[in-house]
Amino acid sequence: METENDAQTQTAAPPAERLAYSVQESADMLGINYYTMYRLIQRQKLKTCRVLRGKLLVPRVELLKLLQTNLM
Amino acid sequence: MNSNHILTGQEERIAVETNAVFAEQMKHFKNSCDEIHGIESNLTTIGNEAFRTALLSPGRTIQTDDGTEWRHDFDLSKITSICHRRIAGKIEFAVIECLSLPTGEAKEVLNSGHNVRDVLREFIRDQKQILNLWKDDVKAQVSEHLIENYPHQDMSYVVESFEAKMERVISERQSLAQNRSRGMRV
Repeated sequence: METENDAQTQTAAPPAERLAYSVQESADMLGINYYTMYRLIQRQKLKTCRVLRGKLLVPRVELLKLLQTNLM
Repeated sequence: MNSNHILTGQEERIAVETNAVFAEQMKHFKNSCDEIHGIESNLTTIGNEAFRTALLSPGRTIQTDDGTEWRHDFDLSKITSICHRRIAGKIEFAVIECLSLPTGEAKEVLNSGHNVRDVLREFIRDQKQILNLWKDDVKAQVSEHLIENYPHQDMSYVVESFEAKMERVISERQSLAQNRSRGMRV
């Protein structure tokens, strides 16, 4: 007998790729420390956007760009 | 906002819980503050040491991403160091950052000039701006966390107390650095 949970598992779509991450999440993904992330942001090597209350978000596309290009 | 406000029992409880949520970030923040103020406290010694090394020792070569070559003098942190090069008989100093990313290492000149102490001061000023950027971001994260967890309640005093805590971390270390730096000049 199919339970409600089974049905949910079968129909659940894969989680959508997030568009942006917090500075801390981004640092963890890149394997660098938090301070270095803020350094990159301050020096505009990494573009961010601010959401409500001024929280910084790093767009996923910017993280990929950072990995694909030289920092200079 | 009333800076003399004493947190109510409920605000106090929420402040403690918020501190726990952001404890890891605060640990990193404190460590970074310590690192910067360690440099600030010993600015004269580091400056003298870098200058002495530049005169006496060739130091290992570091080529930055812009193609310029420098000689290593003194490590400021795991990823930053004071280096020098000679141009037209003069010594130019620079703070160089060697950043390891998954794609490779990036080496960049952060600050440069002929007076090593001025270069260090400029570097410290920049680092403090970065700490402020960090502090503002954490404050925003704390606000967001409280709005999500305590909707329709005014948590501004809890946010304010968290911000004050971060400012204390910066100012206490700054006072220590200035006191040590004054002591050294005597």
